[in-house]
Amino acid sequence: MEKVNSIHLDISGQICPSCLLLTLKELNQHAAAVREGNTEIVVTTDDRQATATIPDAVSKMGYVAEVSRVDAGYRIRVSAKR
Amino acid sequence: MGESPFLLIAATSAVAGLVAGFVMHRSDFCVTAMFRDLFLLRDFFLLRMLVLLVVVSAPAFELGRAAGLLGPYPFPLLGPGSLATLIGGVLFGIGMVLAGGCVVGTLYKLGAGSVVAAVAFLGLLAGSALYAEWHPWWSAFARATAFGPAITLPQWLNVAPAALVLPLAALGALGALYLYRSQRRGLLTRPGYATGHIPPWQAALILAALGFVSWLFIGMPLGITTSYAKLGATLEALVWPEHVAGLAYFQAQGLNYTPPFANTPVSGGAGPQLDAIAAIQYPLIIGIILGAAVSALLVKEWRLHWRIPPRHYASALLGGMLLGAAARMVPGCNIWHLWGGVPILAVQSLLFLLGILPGAWIGSRLLVRFVIR
Repeated sequence: MEKVNSIHLDISGQICPSCLLLTLKELNQHAAAVREGNTEIVVTTDDRQATATIPDAVSKMGYVAEVSRVDAGYRIRVSAKR
Repeated sequence: MGESPFLLIAATSAVAGLVAGFVMHRSDFCVTAMFRDLFLLRDFFLLRMLVLLVVVSAPAFELGRAAGLLGPYPFPLLGPGSLATLIGGVLFGIGMVLAGGCVVGTLYKLGAGSVVAAVAFLGLLAGSALYAEWHPWWSAFARATAFGPAITLPQWLNVAPAALVLPLAALGALGALYLYRSQRRGLLTRPGYATGHIPPWQAALILAALGFVSWLFIGMPLGITTSYAKLGATLEALVWPEHVAGLAYFQAQGLNYTPPFANTPVSGGAGPQLDAIAAIQYPLIIGIILGAAVSALLVKEWRLHWRIPPRHYASALLGGMLLGAAARMVPGCNIWHLWGGVPILAVQSLLFLLGILPGAWIGSRLLVRFVIR
């Protein structure tokens, strides 16, 4: 099985919409690798709004986002559509 | 304080604050984001929620007024529109985007444990109190550039109050049509994955109801910004009492009215004393903070995050100061004007809305240039 490279971002406590903008910036920088399926972007955040805006924004760009709960916050995993 | 009208006022405010704080935290009902994301992301989703709030409030307020439930009309503290309001609106828009929240958004974020919102809150207090230093010439400027004595658009256009009903009814009908179409196209909902998420369209309806209840029992919709100046003046008076006592802005009693369920008039102003303004606004402020804190604790998300880039703190402090000063220059905040004044077509509120749009655009440009990099 191919190893997936994860890029981790921790964006907690920053001024909105840091979480969304920094995630999109990272996604654009690694667009080709994420599209090929060997890289994913994993964001840890306390921003509730981002749990709605990130999946919405990346799905329009052709990616998928999975939101899961972590200690006192959320983890949003952005990867290629399978 | 202590007389009977204040008890109903303070109790209504506290309950409205608790509910509003809880609901805004759960749905992330951020007015700043509504305007900011419009420019930054071409995202109209949140702005639709504001439109919903306004088109529901407008006919509700009008029906309430016609039925004799809501008074006084127009509600107190609204002034005539002027160039000062428009300029204040632009500065308000810039300030709220840089601060990461408006005067109310900052409170619910602070309640949920945001350290950067706490810094913005301090900036708000400082900016509101600082305004007193240039209040005399700013109010002279406002008087000199006022568009006449009218408070609401129908008064300005010199049409009978009945004529107000027609545009509002039309607005209501358009609103219903808009709601129906938006619902069918899925424009009012978006998947929310946060624990205990309340859809923003439901929050908009709850907040519209709170505005109605506030006007019913207190005599005016939700508003809090005079109290930022009041709290700022209280703190300033601890270190510099003679100076605070000498400032005209802190002496003025801008609020003079008879509350709905009272027999005697009450008054209040921005000075440090505990008066009608304190009875109306302090419980609302404390309620919003507590409501949001309870909400965050219940979903186990109350956590202090303070290790963030220092430029975020600088942005929150400077943005907060600008926001606080601008709220006094308008005067009034986005909650007061957009949720309360726009539904009754108050001239000042419409001018504020006109100013906040370019302000939010400028703020968004500054934010991505200097803060979020």
